[in-house]
Amino acid sequence: MGIAGRFHDGQVAQVHVVGLEYEHAGATGTLVIRDEDGVELGRWPATDLYALHGRKDELRLGANGQPTGARVVVRGRVDVARVLATLPVLHAKRRQQAGREIRLAVTATVALAAVIGAYLYGVPLLASRIVGLVPPAWEQSLGETVARQMEASLGDSGGLEACDPDPDSLANRAIARFGAAVLEGSGSPFDLDIKVVKSEIPNAFALPGGQVFFFSALLDQAETQDEFAGVLAHEVGHVAHRHGMEQLISTAGTGALIGFILGDMTGISVAAGLGATIIDARFSRDAERQADAFAARAAERMDFNPAGLADLINRVGADDEFARALALLSTHPLTDDRKAALEILSQQRPTGLEPPFTATEWAAIRSMCGEPVAGTTPKTKSK
Amino acid sequence: MSSVQEQPVPVVFTGTRSELAGMLLRGYGLLIPTIGLYRFWLTTWKRRFYWANTEIDGDPLEYTGNAIQLLLGFLMALAVFVPLYGLFFFLSTQSSEAAIAGYSGVAVLLWFLMGYAIYRARDFRLSRTLWRGIRCDQGGSAWGYAWRRFFWSLLVLVTAGLAYPFMAASLWAYRYRHSWYGDRQFGFVGSWKQLARPFYLTYLVVVVIGAVGLGMGSAMGGLPVSGATPTVGGVVVLLIAAGLIGLMLLYYRSREISRMFSSVRLGEAALRVTVRARSLLGQYLLFGLALAGSYIVLAIGGLIVLGVVASGAFAGGAFDPQVFMQALQSSITVLLAIIFGYLLLLGAFSLMVELFLGLGFWRLVARGATITGLDSLRTVKARGEDTALAGEGLADALNVGAY
Ligand SMILES: [Zn+2]
Repeated sequence: MGIAGRFHDGQVAQVHVVGLEYEHAGATGTLVIRDEDGVELGRWPATDLYALHGRKDELRLGANGQPTGARVVVRGRVDVARVLATLPVLHAKRRQQAGREIRLAVTATVALAAVIGAYLYGVPLLASRIVGLVPPAWEQSLGETVARQMEASLGDSGGLEACDPDPDSLANRAIARFGAAVLEGSGSPFDLDIKVVKSEIPNAFALPGGQVFFFSALLDQAETQDEFAGVLAHEVGHVAHRHGMEQLISTAGTGALIGFILGDMTGISVAAGLGATIIDARFSRDAERQADAFAARAAERMDFNPAGLADLINRVGADDEFARALALLSTHPLTDDRKAALEILSQQRPTGLEPPFTATEWAAIRSMCGEPVAGTTPKTKSK
Repeated sequence: MSSVQEQPVPVVFTGTRSELAGMLLRGYGLLIPTIGLYRFWLTTWKRRFYWANTEIDGDPLEYTGNAIQLLLGFLMALAVFVPLYGLFFFLSTQSSEAAIAGYSGVAVLLWFLMGYAIYRARDFRLSRTLWRGIRCDQGGSAWGYAWRRFFWSLLVLVTAGLAYPFMAASLWAYRYRHSWYGDRQFGFVGSWKQLARPFYLTYLVVVVIGAVGLGMGSAMGGLPVSGATPTVGGVVVLLIAAGLIGLMLLYYRSREISRMFSSVRLGEAALRVTVRARSLLGQYLLFGLALAGSYIVLAIGGLIVLGVVASGAFAGGAFDPQVFMQALQSSITVLLAIIFGYLLLLGAFSLMVELFLGLGFWRLVARGATITGLDSLRTVKARGEDTALAGEGLADALNVGAY
């Protein structure tokens, strides 16, 4: 009798203890399966054989043309080695199968990498296209929701109380007029709503839908009209370009992609958040550049220096390390090349323009949140 | 021999932890260059390991599924998830009330879909399980199962958990009464009565311990109420209460597993499973130790790496978040180090889960199982093919099912 094995015919749940023999016929041969009494239970041509995955030191064979469950099982390192030596076709078939799977895995990986690549380069483009499809009314209501949430979260530290609640005050009218003048000609569907609010964090930002918040702490640190107008024009640029909405869409897209990679579409996982932040940092740098350029274009119509923006950001940063981490820089990273670009933009301005605010207006704006911090007396434009 | 006199046959598990660990480590390594796609292969290898090492009466199970089926299933599930994700995104931009209503709606929908996914995944696994050359299968309707599970869970919610034994028994019965081995249908003889005693006992004890523990703990100031720092004594009481509740839950789980598995029949063959609560506890303790150990090693390694690549942030002995964040954004090395570190943490966690909870649980059930009347199965015949299933689809995307 040949090598001992177990045989299942794939039709009935029987187990046959069998002996396996190999009949050579030229280059190939046949596996003959006989039970203990020598009765032949099956003849499997070697070319039809394939190996299945079993545990260690166990060889499971199936054969084409046989019931799918039919198996010959050989156990023990020595016996398995003997069968494999007799049947080199098994090696070849397994290599073939492995090759097929590897090719498929590589193809799928390349496809996924292509999707990611297309995403990285396409999303800023795609996001701005999709933003074009978002109804302005929707974006506006979204902005209001965000503002409410923000107010709720800042509720115990004073909320977002407006410095000057009267919309017809000199300061508010001047700010609204400036905002409208900056936005003019951009074709933006939004009406600006610029609020100067009380907060100890030196920051300013634009929400989707036209709301711009300017925190009193930042206003306190602004020494010139240029700085205040520069930051405001920059924020209006974010509104005009609908960056808030764009960011939201790209974040959602990044989350979906990372969920896909990790295979966990439901888990709002840490990875998705982390990944989204890192990838989105790229988009936000593009957005900053666009908003700077927008502010510079506005500075061609009114007499303020867009580079004042950079001065203010620098001053806030020099003041307090912690505030810096938390505040303006974190939402508006100021890189050296951005600063340089602002300087160049500020040098190409025409002369003989009107300043954005009159001296009295600027004084009113400066004092709208109460007395500014001692030592920084209001200055009007000296140029 | 007469089948009445037949000795119960123990199920044997032959796999080792180190074998599984080697396979998993190699798999995790391959996940990186394949951007995560290797997970379908890894799952397949893992199942081959579990199936092939589970031996019943001298013959191991065989898992006949392959990775490509899983990959296709996942791609099909995306068709459901991409619109759902879009809906999720849309809701997140709505006013708070609308968003909350919408989120709840999506959560309920997911809960319902999970039932469907669980059943389909079980179908996929069973129909790719071979023993003695004969394939298992699952009939029934996945939607029917999803509805049952959904309405039962509503009832459990309404009754503050008291209806749970009825739900568990009903779902176990549905699963097994629609399962097949070849042309022979599984049966299920269990009922809620077998779960009632351990469940209501556990329920009562958990409620009492919970109430007493919470009462005592908060009286001793263990809860951080209105910004006050919790007292040591109070925290200890709360922790003891939580530990006791955990023990009770393990006790109940061991009873449910043992009694429900022991109610599974296949013609004249009967399964009997004994899993002890202390064995379950042992698995969790071992898992906790292993996880803590691996995280300590990773933390030490991580600090060293971080100190090298982002030394600026730690300059002067103090941690500077701003410099750190700036280093983060500017330096690709730091970025890679952080991503790599995160992947290591994730990898260590899932490795320990698989090695100590996954393998541990499978081994406990397999080694606690005996089967009587196995000889009666020698007449089971094969049934036709079940080719309708391409992967587990939804189940993979929803992340259900442990094996
Ligand atoms: Zn900006």
